[in-house]
Amino acid sequence: MDNKTFIICGIIIALAIGVLAVFLASGNPDGLESTALIVQGQKTLTGDTPPAAEIQEDLKGKFSYAAPMPDYSLGEKFGPLGGIVAIVGGTLLAFLIVLGAFKCITLMKNPEKSKPDQ
Amino acid sequence: MHIPDAFIPIPQGIVYWIIALVFITLALRWAKNEMSEEKIPLIAVLAAGIFALQSFNLPVSMGTSGHLVGGALAAIVLGSPFAAVFILTLVLIVQGVLFGDGGITTMGANIINMGVIGGFVGFYTFKGLINVTKNINISAFSAAWLACFIPALAAAVEMFFAGTFPLREGLIAMGLYHALIGFIEGIVTVIVIHLILRARPDIVDLGALPAKGVNG
Repeated sequence: MDNKTFIICGIIIALAIGVLAVFLASGNPDGLESTALIVQGQKTLTGDTPPAAEIQEDLKGKFSYAAPMPDYSLGEKFGPLGGIVAIVGGTLLAFLIVLGAFKCITLMKNPEKSKPDQ
Repeated sequence: MHIPDAFIPIPQGIVYWIIALVFITLALRWAKNEMSEEKIPLIAVLAAGIFALQSFNLPVSMGTSGHLVGGALAAIVLGSPFAAVFILTLVLIVQGVLFGDGGITTMGANIINMGVIGGFVGFYTFKGLINVTKNINISAFSAAWLACFIPALAAAVEMFFAGTFPLREGLIAMGLYHALIGFIEGIVTVIVIHLILRARPDIVDLGALPAKGVNG
């Protein structure tokens, strides 16, 4: 398989996983969140997570940042479509950032490659 | 396992960032010295795949879910723990800045847990086991399981220092949940390694050789 085909296949698989995640991902808290709920008395170690359980975050003296697409979504009004846009955008961005970083590193290593052939 | 800003005081977050920056610098040096242009597609596709897989939470019982972390996968396939540091750092930046998955001040801790600890535990466990068992599936599964479990314990200790979790409860809960989540990590890691091996065996370095970018 050549590089181009490998990249196309890899990206298609990654995007398919991301789109499936919008519809099939579990809504249960992850391991860290579950542990926080236990510590805060909202969940038992082996029991299910109550629907109303919510992590109480003490932001006093802590940094606070509002991400533009929290929870991999564009907000409730956009529904699953917003989730797809967010995850597809994030997946492609991760791909492009790593690709760009390595291209920069390669050019720093071999500056001759950045010059056009004469 | 993405620690949000509210879970760690800013001064401790700065300490974790400084430690993480040391490993990020070493990872950049690894990328500069060891990466060839032919491996760039693999690294970029791995980053995209790890991002997508981290957004896919699967239920692991007890009202908890989990997803692939990917540190072991990156380190095993690319033959160096610094590959995990490099890829996970960039993925965590995208997740934290755009999606609020993991904090900004806690990003250093997240890079240490998932990239550094996950990458080093995954790589050296795989390297040790593949030499003994000669079996990719057993070695990769075990390495990935440990690369999920050990960082979770590290996160519990960090939460203890931050005053967020009591040590005992944190270790028990984080350990139990991530012991289960580790099965997802192991299975997905083995599947992805086989997919990549089938597509491009020529660009995979299964880490049986000395780790690239690591002196000694």
